[in-house]
Amino acid sequence: MEKILTKKSFPNWIAKLATVQIYAPVVKDDLWSYEVVDAAGITTEYTNAIQSPKKIIFPQRELFLEFSHNDNGSPEIRELLPEDKESIIFGIRPCDAKGVSHMDKVFGGDFEDSYYWKRRNQVTLVGVGCNTPPSPNCFCTSVDGSPFSHEGLDVLLTDMGDNYYVQTFTKKGDKLVNMSKGLFAAPKPKEKADLESLHKDAETKLPRHLKDTKKIPPKLKGLFDSEIWDDESMSCIRCGICTYLCPTCHCFDISDEITSHSPLEGKRVRTWDNCQFPDFTMHSSGHNPRPDKASRLRQRIMHKFQYFVEIYNNYQCVGCGRCISKCPVGIDIIQVLEKVRDHV
Amino acid sequence: MAEEFEPKIVAFLCKWCSSAGSDLAGVSRMQYPPNVVPITVMCSGSVSPLYILSAFNKGADGVLVSGCHPGDCHYIKGNYYARRRIALVKELMEYIGLEPDRFQMSWVSAAEGIKYTKIIKDFVNILKPLGPQTNLRRSQ
Amino acid sequence: MVNLDDLKKEALNLLKDEKVKYIIGYTEGSNGTSAAPAFIKNPEDTDKLVWNPGCFHNLTRFLRDEKKRKAREKHPDERPVGIVVKGCDSRAINVLLQEKYIKRDDVFILGVSCESTGVIDEKKVAKKLKGKKAQKIEWDTNRNLVVTTEDGTTKIPADEVLAERCVECPVHSPVVYDIFFGDKIKRTTDAQFKSVEKIENLSQKEKWDFWKKQFDKCIRCYACRSVCPMCYCDECVVDTISFAVTADTTAEEKAQRIKWIEKSPTPSETFIYHIIRAIHLAGRCIDCGECERVCPLDIPIRFLNKKLEKEAKSLFDYEVGFDPDQLSLVSSFKDEDPEDFIR
Repeated sequence: MEKILTKKSFPNWIAKLATVQIYAPVVKDDLWSYEVVDAAGITTEYTNAIQSPKKIIFPQRELFLEFSHNDNGSPEIRELLPEDKESIIFGIRPCDAKGVSHMDKVFGGDFEDSYYWKRRNQVTLVGVGCNTPPSPNCFCTSVDGSPFSHEGLDVLLTDMGDNYYVQTFTKKGDKLVNMSKGLFAAPKPKEKADLESLHKDAETKLPRHLKDTKKIPPKLKGLFDSEIWDDESMSCIRCGICTYLCPTCHCFDISDEITSHSPLEGKRVRTWDNCQFPDFTMHSSGHNPRPDKASRLRQRIMHKFQYFVEIYNNYQCVGCGRCISKCPVGIDIIQVLEKVRDHV
Repeated sequence: MAEEFEPKIVAFLCKWCSSAGSDLAGVSRMQYPPNVVPITVMCSGSVSPLYILSAFNKGADGVLVSGCHPGDCHYIKGNYYARRRIALVKELMEYIGLEPDRFQMSWVSAAEGIKYTKIIKDFVNILKPLGPQTNLRRSQ
Repeated sequence: MVNLDDLKKEALNLLKDEKVKYIIGYTEGSNGTSAAPAFIKNPEDTDKLVWNPGCFHNLTRFLRDEKKRKAREKHPDERPVGIVVKGCDSRAINVLLQEKYIKRDDVFILGVSCESTGVIDEKKVAKKLKGKKAQKIEWDTNRNLVVTTEDGTTKIPADEVLAERCVECPVHSPVVYDIFFGDKIKRTTDAQFKSVEKIENLSQKEKWDFWKKQFDKCIRCYACRSVCPMCYCDECVVDTISFAVTADTTAEEKAQRIKWIEKSPTPSETFIYHIIRAIHLAGRCIDCGECERVCPLDIPIRFLNKKLEKEAKSLFDYEVGFDPDQLSLVSSFKDEDPEDFIR
């Protein structure tokens, strides 16, 4: 469905949507972040949030079950599922939405992760395209994305000056528009043409580029034992910023958190985990197959640009630039990939 | 009627003085509140700040570290180290906005059974109005 | 002024004469304002070295990696590593020497003076530039930051963009070095603990609310720990590997090992992580402020360490990183240490 919404009627539409919980980017403590907001707090003018909204669908801590000893001394286990609550993520960037669609592949497939899907199915993604790049390190077009890609989105808004061009791609998206049909008009041919040229124009504005990305996955195959990883990881401090801020990184750990030993009580939880941490691959024997930071950097690059491509035929990188902007020592994934690509 | 709040105190007691002091209180049949979980350590200087925080994390409402009087340490100077370290922990707890009264240190010798009971009585009286410690408690 | 050409020349000579294994210095970063750490092995690469207001990294952190690397080698190269250090970083070297983590012969120190300025706070500069990208930044002689963007150059007074730690810094130039670059300017600060006092003046509830709000943001990426030159423990309490497993460790023993801090970013666990880190750095933190700079969520972690620095000074008259031969704060004591809090 394609519609036009004037900026004047925009607040009316938002007011209608606000019957469910809305997450939208707001400034919290000087930083953009996706938080629960009321209708008045919603804007379409914002830079990239520090954290992608992946934390809403795949929270850093997910409760699986609760366990305890009951009075007879026998164990009692209660499953904990995410609560029933419809919500909208308003203003998700196309790259972050693409990240969500990548996670769908990981948590879907032959085995569906019920915790993930419970949250995923309850959330509607309303994207706002990027007329101008929201970060100085955006490079989505280099990894098969675009500032107006609709992969993973239910609704995409394009700012056309006085209006928003509203496109819906799923039934969930249609529902949001149909909630207040009167506010929307059908697009005129000129507006359609304008949209197309605006989308094309936006693609030329990207600040960063990586050429010949296609050459990287086959190249990586031969570089497992290369010295390139030693050189590139020299300045790595092995923190977890790059992966925790990444909209596609999805590794996790499951642990039992004991809150009382007698009587026994506790919870089984899933928390984010991070391939850059030394204990990520630590075996209980004490052996660590990825013993140093070179092998961990290699894993991050290989997972995103080789293994994921082999399994899902997609780069596991959406070009949001967060890992570049926030790396404490300026490790730049584009530069690393260029070195991989040009390696002889 | 609601039950009165009974604080739980974890007490790290030095084996050579304070632990013996608490034993003296016990064998002399002195009365003092049963709110203490004593943990005997080899020296007050061996109490890592992590033990203290961990006790709060696992449900303590108050933590007491007790060692030998200055000059009496079985290991010559362990209690002096403890004194420094614990001063820092106390300052930091206060700075973070935790109630500094929840954390106490005392010198109790093996002969000071009476002092030990008094310290516990006072501590319980301080903790009762503060209520349960929830800030650092692992609960969710 | 620090003459960059002198620095390059010395670096070149050190590498040419094979006096050092390699040189840890700064080079141009990819985002304009920030420099990046550089590891220079070839003499011809010394030309890449830079010295500018974006050189905020504390490079002594990489001595950790060097030590580990050396330990793995069968026939390690015993030559020192050349390292570029600022005033604060040089105090880190003193602490590492004091703790016998490194030997003085392990490093060849190229000390650079911060003179009348210091390093910038990237966030403050970004605010001033309002989205424009800096191509070049430097200090002029009148304590102004000269920023070159595509629209030309602008001058910003140093006090508006200096990192807070530089404003509160008591040293400004290296206290230990082999070669010194720049001028030794005596500068005193009357505001060494200003940031701490701001929090100290809050009520207990306000303090808790402040820290609760800050730590609620924490995603436990451990960048603060990873970037710290003093956080060199092989195993940290927050890592689940802090447990020796041998061939005869039983499953039961493994299950019963102590987990001091859970991975979950819940308030209790995050608080304990940050408190323990602060305590562990008491009398060791040299206030390079890197923990705060790297935090992606802008948690003012430095305020915690600074508080303990203040207490060490006021309670025990202890200053960090000036004397490699002094006993460390928590492994020493004085008879007159305060004990009014002890019952």
